[in-house]
Amino acid sequence: MPGKLFTRRRDGRIEVRLSDAGRGVIREVFAHVLAAERDPGHEWHLSLNAPINPSSDDDDPLSSLARQNEIATNAELSVMTLKEQYLTDAEAWAWLSTLQVALRSTAVVNGILSDEKLESAAPELLEDIRTMQQFLFELAACF
Amino acid sequence: MPLRSSSTESDVETEVSVITERPWNVIVWNDPVTPMTVVVVVFKRIFGYSNNKCTHLMMTVHHEGRANVWSGQRERAESYCVKLQVAGLQATVERDA
Repeated sequence: MPGKLFTRRRDGRIEVRLSDAGRGVIREVFAHVLAAERDPGHEWHLSLNAPINPSSDDDDPLSSLARQNEIATNAELSVMTLKEQYLTDAEAWAWLSTLQVALRSTAVVNGILSDEKLESAAPELLEDIRTMQQFLFELAACF
Repeated sequence: MPLRSSSTESDVETEVSVITERPWNVIVWNDPVTPMTVVVVVFKRIFGYSNNKCTHLMMTVHHEGRANVWSGQRERAESYCVKLQVAGLQATVERDA
């Protein structure tokens, strides 16, 4: 049975046991989120700016700005800690949030909005989604 | 002050008060890719709910397609909604029916 990819230590830090290949996948995912937040033309940009109050024509600009700042901060912190063997609680939370943002953005831009669509997704896309889900599943177990 | 005028003002004030008290709900929507454990830890981290309550809310999202996870003032509802979106969940706010 393969070992855990993330483990919460007694001192509160989270140990990252990803291989170089695993860190490579994570690096690519984090870079995409950061790029999407900065570039309005990025295919994930719209999914990062979903409506907060759909009954209103426009969302409160302060709420939208807070969301933009927090997503960017999480992505930046995640990129800065990519090579770390041990993450603080806040760093690990940034990883989890950024990975989850990437997972949902991947689903949204590929029209995967139902279980049926997920099951009929192209094998390569499905593998990307399963990989992110596995990382998230194991990281979430540390919280 | 004339009695009639006073009575009318009182009626208007009562209506305004009722409208103001209608809460705003934070709604989390189901999606086919988010792991259930992620939903639970996000609820726990953002709202500080118990494990049982977080699991119950997650199952409501899973089975019913959506769950009302918090109700109250509009500003706080929007703030919670933003936190949920930053954590990658699909969330919106709506006024209580």
